[in-house]
This record gives sequence, structure tokens and C-alpha cells, in this order.
Amino acid sequence: MEPVLNVDRITKRFKGMTAVDGVSFSVGRGEVAAILGPNGTGKSTTMHMLLGLLKPDGGSAELFGNAPGSKEARERIGVMLQDVSLMDAMKVREVLELIRGYYRNPMPLRDLLRLTGLSEEDLKKRAEKLSGGQKRRVSFALALAGDPDLLFFDEPTVGMDVGARARFWTTVKDLAAQGKTVIFSTHYLQEADDVASRILLFNRGRLIADGSPAQVKGQLLRKTVSFKLPDKVSAERLRSLPNVLSMDLGMERIELVTDDTDRLLYALVTADIGASDITIGQGRLEDAFTELTRTEEGVV
Amino acid sequence: MKLFLLQTRSEIKRIFRNPYFVFWSLFMPLVFYFVFTNVFNTDMPDQGLWDAHFLMSIAAFSVMGSSIMTLGIRLVEERTQGWSIYLSTTPLPPAAYFASKMAGQSAVHVFSILFIFFAGYLINGVRLSPAEWVLGGVWILLASLPFLALGVLIGAMRRVDTASGVSNLIYLGLAITGGMWMPMEVLPEMLQAVGKWLPAYSYGNGAWEIIRGHAPEWRDMAILTAYLLLFMALAILIRNRQEAMRT
Repeated sequence: MEPVLNVDRITKRFKGMTAVDGVSFSVGRGEVAAILGPNGTGKSTTMHMLLGLLKPDGGSAELFGNAPGSKEARERIGVMLQDVSLMDAMKVREVLELIRGYYRNPMPLRDLLRLTGLSEEDLKKRAEKLSGGQKRRVSFALALAGDPDLLFFDEPTVGMDVGARARFWTTVKDLAAQGKTVIFSTHYLQEADDVASRILLFNRGRLIADGSPAQVKGQLLRKTVSFKLPDKVSAERLRSLPNVLSMDLGMERIELVTDDTDRLLYALVTADIGASDITIGQGRLEDAFTELTRTEEGVV
Repeated sequence: MKLFLLQTRSEIKRIFRNPYFVFWSLFMPLVFYFVFTNVFNTDMPDQGLWDAHFLMSIAAFSVMGSSIMTLGIRLVEERTQGWSIYLSTTPLPPAAYFASKMAGQSAVHVFSILFIFFAGYLINGVRLSPAEWVLGGVWILLASLPFLALGVLIGAMRRVDTASGVSNLIYLGLAITGGMWMPMEVLPEMLQAVGKWLPAYSYGNGAWEIIRGHAPEWRDMAILTAYLLLFMALAILIRNRQEAMRT
């Protein structure tokens, strides 16, 4: 896999508080990577460092082998940030043409319209007269104007309605299929799970999980095995079963939390203690996400 | 270079579409001109000279104002609204951003000067030699550099409200103490003494000398150059410090 982005122990401190703490990862061509985490956890700060808008206090990053913020890097990226108002007193067409003019091989205007859902009508409007949804589309078009190889979206779907969101992500997947690399931040697990091929899970400025959505979810999920027992078997006996992380001895049922349901199940059955009505639970992902970020908070 | 021209063209368009610019830099100076030459000051010893003198004052007043205010406030707006942050992720070099702002502003000033001169020609029948017209206009255009630098300096402010308040104050203060509304001799002596060392007086005085058939004085050029260097140094210093804050 051709590395597009390499991040090596990047660190950022604000007034003695560590906002991003030694984060390392790399992203390859065609990946859609989600920087996922609760608010205020270093997602935006990390992205700003990758864009050269903030200088790291430690570590480094490379985009196509170039430093963030270098001319070479800026030629090949497209960016959609939060809270950017468009240049006023300019028509949408004029702004798009201006920004396209910055790049050597800009994306044709008609492709921009097709990808972002902007209409010819929208092009004639002044930027300050657009609705919120139209503004987002223009921001998206600005990010694509240079036909970039690497796209950064900071919380891109905030303020989008359901339809716009779906359309946006469909386009993003198409772009990735064409070999473009996409990095976006979000605090919605669902969104990362639906769209990303890769999740970078942030919490408290650290990268706490990195992998495919299935891998990261596996790491997050509380898998359980629960069952009924005909008589009281000592808790010690249950604890000696393999891969038990914790247990909940209820009146009716017993619930074991495990990191490997297969092995536990086998051991439970072969132990021959009369377990019946066995069910396996995957837990709810959103719960796990909340849980994990909560316990992580407790640690720090 | 291509980027710079593209950017400059957009800046020019935007300035003309800005109603504040049209009002404050084109309409108001004309009103002032008309009032100060036809309502007050109608018994000047040499009315023709006064009409020409005041035409230069008002053209300089207009260009100085749009250098300080239009440029400064726009820079602050674009930073607070995130636009200049977005731009810094594109291949547009930061220097081209500032240069095109100043170039666009100057191109607009050429228009302002022509507009105001032409109005003087029509309203009061101001007649100057072709050389005086051209040199007066060129002086007002080129000698506005210190005010453009002052605009960039104001552009470093954090809030639009502060920037617009401060720039208004500086603008009007400079115009009065520089003799752009009424001749310096009318002002209290202490203000005159201070005003002679502020950039607006030298700015106006260059043009006043030109229409009297003299070359601008070395003193005025030296003062304007000194202020240009001072404002540029301050702007660069502050910008670097703000960059450092972001690290």
C-alpha cells in the first residue's frame, strides 16, 4: 500500500495541557480514514497540524513525503474545515474559478457540479446569499477544486440534513474508489462505521485504537455469554473458565463478559455444569463507545 | 504571477461591490468637496487655487480612507471568518494574498482618483495643466503606500469591531490634523505642530505643491517613507508573533 500520509509521534500542547499526545499512524492510497472520538479529544488539533495550520511541539508528519503546509503538500490536498464563511461579494462561480486557478490541474467545473450537487442556478448567486446547505456544497466543491489526491474533512456532516449526508458520503466513497484518499473527523461512531475503511479512535489526545471498523468495534464491544444454571455453582468455578473478563451473577441468569466467545462457550459446555438457555450477546456498539471513552477518562 | 493576477482581479471586483466603499470613498468625498468649496470657504482670496487645492485634499482623503479602512477591516473579517485559514491550505502563497490585496486596492484607487478629479473638473471647473493632473494623481496613488501598510497593520487586529473603531478614529484624526478638511493654518498651533509630523499632512502637501507648480518636498517624501517602513516593520513583527502564538 502506497503511503499517502505518515504521522510519527505527533504531539501538541496548549498552555501545559497536552491536546495531542504522541500520535502515530499512516494512511494509504484510496483509504477512507475516520478520526473518531468524543468532542475536545484532539481530532481537530491533529487535523490542523496535518494541514500545517498548527505546528506540532513534538513528532512530525509527512504528506506524500512533504512537510504539512509546504507548497508541494498544498498542491495535492483539498480541505473542508468547520466554520469557514465564504469570501463575500463574490458569486459562487467566481469563487470556484478563483480557487481552481490556484491549482495546476483543477477539476473541471461540470465535474464539481456533478459531485457536489450544486446547480447552474447556484453558481450565479452571491456566496452570502446561500442557505446553510448550499454553503456546505460550495465548501465541498472548494475542497475538490484542485482535483486533490488527499482530502481532509473536519466534521463534514455537521449541519447537513439526512439526504445531503447520504449524498455526501456516496460521493466520498466514489472518490475513494478512484484512488483518492479521504481523512475525516467525526464524533459519531455510526458515521465512521458506515463510511470509513479505517477508524482511528482518539480519546484524550491519544490514539487508542486503529484498524478496520470491524477490528475497532471488536476492541470496543463487550461480548457476553449468559445462561441459566440448575444449581449454584461456586463463583470460583466460573472464574476458572477461560477468557472471562468479568461476571454478573444475577438471580435468574449468569452473565460472563469475554473477549472470546468461542473458547468460553466450548469450555462452558465441556465443563458440564448444566448450563442451559445459553445466549451470546454482542452488546450495543454505541454503549461500548460511550463506555470506553468514559473509562478512559477515568484513567487520565 | 498568474495566481497574483487572478487574486487581484477578484479583490477589485469585491471592493466595487462593497456598498461601504462606494459610499465612503466615492460619494462622501464628493459631498465634502461640494460643501467645502461651494457652501463654506466661498470667499477665498484665490478661489480657483482653493478649488484645486481642496480637490487634491479630498482625493487624498478618499484614497487614504480606503487604504486604511477597506483594506484593514477586510483583512480582519477574512481571518475571523476562517476564509484566510482556508486559503492557507491552498497553494496560494501568503505573500500573494497580501500583495494582491494591496494591488487590488491601488487599482481601485486609480479609479477613485479619476472619478474625483473628473468631478472637480465638472463641479468647480478646476483647470490644471495636463502635467499637474497626471503628477497629482500619481502622487496620491504612490504616496498612499504608508496608509496601505497601516491598513495591513490594522488587519492584524482580532475583532472587526475594534478594527473598524480604531481605523475610523485614525482616519478622521489624520484627515483633520493633516489639513485635508480645512487648511492647516486654521488649526490651533499645537495641532499644527503635531500634524506636520504625521503622515497625512505630508501626503496632502505633496499634491498641494504639485498643483502650485512645485515638486513635492523632500521632507514630505522622507516622512512618508519613514512611516511606510515603520508600519511595515510593525505589521511583520505582529504577524510573526501571531504565527508564533499558533505553534
